[in-house]
Amino acid sequence: MKRTNKHLGIKLWSILSGSILIFLVLYMNIYIFSKGKEGLSIDFLMDMPKGFPLGTDGGIFPAIIGSIYFTSIACFFAGMIAIATAIYLNFYCTNKRIYGGIHMVIQSTAGIPSIVLGLFGYTFLVVHLNFGISLLSGGMVLGIMIFPFIEVKVEKAFQEISKELIYASYALGISKAYTFFKIILPICFGEIISAIALAGGFAMGAVAPIIFTGGVLYAPEPKGIFSPAMALPYHLYILIGEGISIENAYKTAAVLLVLLLVLNSFSIFIGLFRKVE
Amino acid sequence: MHKKFEKIFSNSIKGITFFSVMILICIIIFLIKESVVIFDEISLLDFIFGDKWNPVRNPPNISIFPMILGTLYVSFVAMTIALPIGVGAAIFLTSVVNEKMRKMIKPSIDLLAGIPSVIYGLIGLLVLVKFFEIHFDFSSGESVLVGGILLAIMVLPYIISTCDESMIKIAKRYKMASDGLGISKWHMIRYLILPASKKSILAGIILALARAMGETMAVMMVIGNSPIFPKLLGKTQTIPALIALEMGGAQVDSLHYHALFAAGLVLMGILFVVNMLFYYIKKNIDY
Amino acid sequence: MDHIIETKDLSIYFDQKKILDKINIKIKENKITAIIGPSGCGKSTFIKSLNKMVHEEKNATIDGEILLHGKNINGMEKEIVREKIGMVFQNPMPFPLSIYDNMIYAPIYYGIKDKEKLGNIVKQKLIIAGLYDEVKNNMKMQATKLSGGQQQRLCIARALTVEPEILLLDEPCSALDVKNTANIEEMLKKLSHQYTIVIVTHNLAQAKRIAQYTAFILNGEIIEYDETKKLFENPQDERTKQYIEGIFG
Repeated sequence: MKRTNKHLGIKLWSILSGSILIFLVLYMNIYIFSKGKEGLSIDFLMDMPKGFPLGTDGGIFPAIIGSIYFTSIACFFAGMIAIATAIYLNFYCTNKRIYGGIHMVIQSTAGIPSIVLGLFGYTFLVVHLNFGISLLSGGMVLGIMIFPFIEVKVEKAFQEISKELIYASYALGISKAYTFFKIILPICFGEIISAIALAGGFAMGAVAPIIFTGGVLYAPEPKGIFSPAMALPYHLYILIGEGISIENAYKTAAVLLVLLLVLNSFSIFIGLFRKVE
Repeated sequence: MHKKFEKIFSNSIKGITFFSVMILICIIIFLIKESVVIFDEISLLDFIFGDKWNPVRNPPNISIFPMILGTLYVSFVAMTIALPIGVGAAIFLTSVVNEKMRKMIKPSIDLLAGIPSVIYGLIGLLVLVKFFEIHFDFSSGESVLVGGILLAIMVLPYIISTCDESMIKIAKRYKMASDGLGISKWHMIRYLILPASKKSILAGIILALARAMGETMAVMMVIGNSPIFPKLLGKTQTIPALIALEMGGAQVDSLHYHALFAAGLVLMGILFVVNMLFYYIKKNIDY
Repeated sequence: MDHIIETKDLSIYFDQKKILDKINIKIKENKITAIIGPSGCGKSTFIKSLNKMVHEEKNATIDGEILLHGKNINGMEKEIVREKIGMVFQNPMPFPLSIYDNMIYAPIYYGIKDKEKLGNIVKQKLIIAGLYDEVKNNMKMQATKLSGGQQQRLCIARALTVEPEILLLDEPCSALDVKNTANIEEMLKKLSHQYTIVIVTHNLAQAKRIAQYTAFILNGEIIEYDETKKLFENPQDERTKQYIEGIFG
C-alpha cells in the first residue's frame, strides 16, 4: 500500500499542473469568443468607428485593414531580409568569424524588448528619416521585431537539407543561385511560408512597437505607405485603457483572434500537406 | 547567362544581408547615442540607484530605481508561479498522457503563446483585477501580484516547451534501460528525468524571465503604473510600461526623452546579461 | 604528358589546423587512381580540393597549386573546374526529382533544350552506368525510391552528363552491399578507358581490384604513391607496409 503511494506527491503535482494548463488554454479562448460573439455583426466589421468618445459606436473596419497592412509590410520586409541573411549564412559565408558575428547580432536583436524597438523606430524612422507616423515606419519596426524569428527558422530549414545533396549540384558545375531555385527552394518552400505566417501572427498582435511609429487612435483606411493607420490590437488597447467600450473591446479581441487563427492555420495546413506527401 | 544570374543573385544576397546587419547594429548604436546624453546631467549610479522619477519638475528627478525594482519584482512573482506549474505540466505531457493526447495538447501551448499581449491585458484587467477587488476587498486590484499572475500565464509556454523537449529526449533514451530494471515510471521521473532535466528547466526559466521583463502591454494594463517602490499588493511600474506611457508626451531631445532612452538601454543591458546566461546554459546542456 | 592533373605543394588548413601538408602528386590520364589511408588522414579533403569543393567549407585556407592540363585552377571559376572534374559522394544523393529530371538537370543548365538530344544523353549515360535496363520503363519515378545501389549508379551517370574529363569518387561504395559494390567496380573499370578516375576508399581490396595507381596518405602527407601492384607487394615505406598489413587504421 505504501509503495503505490510513494510518488503520490509528484503524480498530483503533474496532473494538477496539466489541468491548469488545459484550463487556461480553454478559458482564454472560450472567454474571448463567448464574450465577443454577442453583438458581433457584419456592420461591426465593415463600419467606421463612431460615437463620442470614438469607438463607443460603429465598427472597426479601418483597424482590420490597418492591421492587415502592417502585418503584410512587416512580413514582406522581414521575410526579404531574413531569407537573404539565411541564404548568405548558409550558402555563401565561408568565414566562421563573420558567421558567428552575424549570429550574435541577430541574437542580440531577438533580445531587444519590443517597446525599445518602438523607441528606436520613433526617433530614427519617424523623426530622423522623416517617414512620419506611418504604415511604413510601423511595418518596419514590426519587421525588425520578427526578423530574428524568421531568420532562425529559415536557416534551420536550410540546415536540414543534406549538405551532400547541395554539393552534388555544385559538383556538376552548377551555380549556387540555380541550385537554390531548382533544388533547395522547392524543398523548403513550405517551411519558409509557415515561418513567415507564424511571425506575421506575432506582428499582428503587437502594440508596443507601433504605439509611436504607425498606429493612431483614428484614421480612415490608409491611402499609401506614408499614411498612419489604425491597428486592431492598438484600438483594443485604447478601448479598454480609456474605458471607452468594454463590449466593443471584447468584439475587437474576438476579431483579432480569428485573424490570428487564419494566419496560423496557414502553417498548420502546410505542415499537414507536407506529412501527406 | 547563368554566370550573370549568379552574380546578380549573390550580390543582392550579400547586399541585403549587409543592409540588415547594418540596421541591427544601427539600432544598438542609436540607442546608446540617444541615452548617453543624460549622463552629462546625472551619473549612471544616481540614474540607476536614486529613488525618484519626476523628469518634468524643475530641478528634475531622474532615477529609474523604482521601475527597475518593479520590473524585477513582477517578473520574480511570475517565475515563482510559472515554475512549478510549467515543470509539472511538462511532466504531465511527457509521462501522464498518451501520445495521442500529447499531440493534441502540444499545439494548444503554441496557441497560448500566440495570444497577443493586449488580450492578456484585457483578461487581466477585466477578470483578475476585478476578482481581487470583489473577493479580497482590495481598494484597487491593480498590483504586482496580478501582474505576476498574468505574466506567469504568458511565459508558461516557454517553460513548458523548453522542459518538455529535453524530458522527452531523456525519457526516450533511458526508457528501455529503466524498464529493464523493473523500475516504475514515477520512480524514473523522480530520480532520473527530473534531475537530468535540471539544466533545461533552468534554461526555460531564464528564457521566460527575459520574455517577462521585456513585456509591455499586458503588464502595463494591470499594475497601476505609479513610479513608487513596489509592494506585492500595491501598484508599481515597469521600465517598458514607463517608456510606453511617457514617450508620447516627451519632447524630442528633451531631458525627459533622453531619460526614457536611457531607461530602455538599462533594460536592454539587463536583458542582454539574461540572454547570454540562457545561451551559455543551453550550450552546456548535455543529455 | 601522360598526367592530367598535378598538385604542387598543396596544403590545406581548416581554421588553423593543417589537414594536408605539401601534397605533390601527378595523376595519370585515363587510369584509376586510388587514395587510401586511415580515416581522418585528409584523403577526402584532398579530392575535394581538386574540384574546388573544399572552397565551400567554412574557414578553409588553400596553399599551393593544382594544375589541370598544366593550367592552375586557382585562376579558373569553380563552376568551370567542376564542369571538367565531376564528383560522386559517399552517400547516394539523388535530387528529389524524377530519374529523368535528375539526368537532365545539368544538361538543361548548360543550355541543351532539344528534347531528342536530352533523351539521348539520358539513355547513353544510363547505359554506361548499367542502369538503363532497370529503369527505362520508370523514368518518371522519384529517384529517391530507387535502391541504394541504383541511386549511386544514377549519381555516377548524372555526373557523366556534364561530360567531365575526370571523375572523383569519395568512398562511393561504403554505403552499399557486396553485389552493388561489384557492379560499380565493374562500371568504373569500363569508364577508365574514357575518363580519369580518382577514388577514395578505405577498402584496400577494392583499391587492389580496380586501381592502376594507389597513393597512401597518412596525417595529411603522401607517404607513398606508386603503381598499385608495387605499392601492395613491395611497399617502400615502413608505415605503408604496416597499414596494408592492417596494423593500424
